[in-house]
Amino acid sequence: MKKSSLILLILSLMLSLCACAPAAGDKTEKEKETTAEAKADESKVEETKDEEPKADETKAEESKAEASEAEKAEAETPAAEGGDLNIFMWGDYISEDLIKTFEKENNCKINLSFMSDNADSITKLTAGAGKDYDLIMTCDAYMESLIKGNYLEKLDADKIPNAVNNMNPAYWTGENRDYCVPYLMNYIYVVYDTERCPIEITCYNDLIKPEMAGQIGSIDGARNLFPIALVALGYDPNSTEEKEIAEAYEWLQKFNKNVVAYGSTQENIVNGLISCMLTFDGNASWAMKELKDKNTLKIAPFKKDPVQLGFDLFVMPKGAVHADLACKFLNYLSDADVMAKNLEEFPYSCPNDKAVEKASEAYRNDPAFDFDYKTNIFFQKDVGDALAIYDEYYQKLKVGE
Amino acid sequence: MKREAATTNGLRRKTHQRLPLLAQAGPVSLWMILFVTLPLLFIIAISLMSRGAFGGVDYRFSLKSYATLFDMIYFKVIMKSLNIAVLTTVSCLILGYPFAYYIARKPADTASRLIMLIMIPFWTNSLMRLNAWMLMFQMNGPVNNLLIRLHVFSNPVKFIYTDWLVFLGLVTNFLPFAVLPMYSSIEKLQDSLLEASADLGAPPVKTFFKVTLPLTFPGIFSAIILTFIPALGTYTVTDMLGGGKVLYIGNIIKNQFGVIRNWPLGSALSVLLLLITALLIFLYTRIARVEDLEVL
Repeated sequence: MKKSSLILLILSLMLSLCACAPAAGDKTEKEKETTAEAKADESKVEETKDEEPKADETKAEESKAEASEAEKAEAETPAAEGGDLNIFMWGDYISEDLIKTFEKENNCKINLSFMSDNADSITKLTAGAGKDYDLIMTCDAYMESLIKGNYLEKLDADKIPNAVNNMNPAYWTGENRDYCVPYLMNYIYVVYDTERCPIEITCYNDLIKPEMAGQIGSIDGARNLFPIALVALGYDPNSTEEKEIAEAYEWLQKFNKNVVAYGSTQENIVNGLISCMLTFDGNASWAMKELKDKNTLKIAPFKKDPVQLGFDLFVMPKGAVHADLACKFLNYLSDADVMAKNLEEFPYSCPNDKAVEKASEAYRNDPAFDFDYKTNIFFQKDVGDALAIYDEYYQKLKVGE
Repeated sequence: MKREAATTNGLRRKTHQRLPLLAQAGPVSLWMILFVTLPLLFIIAISLMSRGAFGGVDYRFSLKSYATLFDMIYFKVIMKSLNIAVLTTVSCLILGYPFAYYIARKPADTASRLIMLIMIPFWTNSLMRLNAWMLMFQMNGPVNNLLIRLHVFSNPVKFIYTDWLVFLGLVTNFLPFAVLPMYSSIEKLQDSLLEASADLGAPPVKTFFKVTLPLTFPGIFSAIILTFIPALGTYTVTDMLGGGKVLYIGNIIKNQFGVIRNWPLGSALSVLLLLITALLIFLYTRIARVEDLEVL
């Protein structure tokens, strides 16, 4: 009897351990694409409103993953019946009031399903998601290959006049204009503590100076780290040349020496563990708010080096069933007042200029969005087969070879 | 039960000779095929495919993933992972054995309460427990505050993201897996054997090494298996407490299925890890000549 109960106990232990693992997977699955981690960290920003300064991203992620499962199950059943608008996007990333208003105005139902990783939406799009979803959120890095692969439905500009009028054209260019509508965006820049950081940071190369040993916290992921090294070395941030990537790897080895930890940057800087961070603007905003009047954080005054900018945007999968309603929704979302209201709840950088003008003072005066090189940017582009080279060097970097 | 029925009823035995065997082995085999063999075959099959353009799996045969494994980098990572897994296992044994012994020598109801105490922390998610460690050892966390207040240090000490915190996390995470099987073994140890040993003039230390330890070895062996294997593949602890600066084999496999999206390589690495573990266990059972395994 005892033995069998022990076996049961151990089995349940094993199960509990296994059950924990996937949730953690979600948490760290964020690395490759900027936005993936942005979400993980941003969801934390939300959570910390409830006076939980150490709110951990895993908790948020986990609940998100759970929520996404539940929502998916919920959302997919009525989807088959038709008549509704089915959207696949990040969880906890759009104002529910806005959704409700749209539902009322258009007498329809919006079914939101949530992804837990950027890869989710790519999987759905490439598998032909038109039957199940009308709008899918993805990020700019994938746009080129999605268009090339003919996975997307063209958007009729006449049906989304708000987007055409309000969106900053610098952020919505080229072919992208025909296939997507940007939603929110995030910068990856350097922030340091003027009191504690040993040197002033004005370019990426300052980050690998020996004085900075043990001072830096950084976001993670090959496609977030390698571009800054490539820029520092004077190369194309989306280089596909192995020689250049190898040099960037050497640069990153020096960077890695100075880094204390990857991830949780904003908490580590608030706790005083680090004095400088490579991070998303949303994270910096959280840290600055958290420090209140003791805020000595400063956005590094970069002169020459560009910073990475990433977008979350909506695309319509090929063969979307409710295309008209989807365009209506995109147009509604691009309305200056609607988006301004959304920004109250989700205070991230926004490509909708008119909405930013109408946003609250607190949003417009957020010190984390106040820097003068906002247009000196680069985007993450599809690097094709070179991704394997990046991954290889990224692993080398982490293994510490 | 079924065997008894079959042996007592001689008549049926001939006509239904195969039925009992099937009845006994059938469900188990089905269970094993469904939940062990098939998933494993699936992993092996994927490891022999190519990586899709958008990641994931392209169903074309390729041995590229296995060719990649010959990179020195993986050898290094596996050595590093083995190193930390062995360290964790040994620490769990050293800490867990006296603990298990103490519990096992208590009266049954006290013992079950003590076992409960080990279990209670495990009712919370392991990530929560890891987060608790992180909070405790923050720069401005309780441990640092206490040390400063007690004037042990004048400035906060950087505990977080250090190797020893990772180690602490691993040991606390796997300790119950070591304690439970050892407890089960020690609990079966008969006092009369120890008394006999003492009567024959063996000092307590000798009794321990000549009687207690060999008799409880099956439990120790199970403990080793139960801590070593998960410790070898773990990635949450190292990710969270290590600050993502160091990758172990578990992290690398996880990355292949997550950010890097190279499922075939991830599967190939899993197969490699499986082979290494199987080999180690095989060697170990051979050397230790263990037949009766506790738990396993």
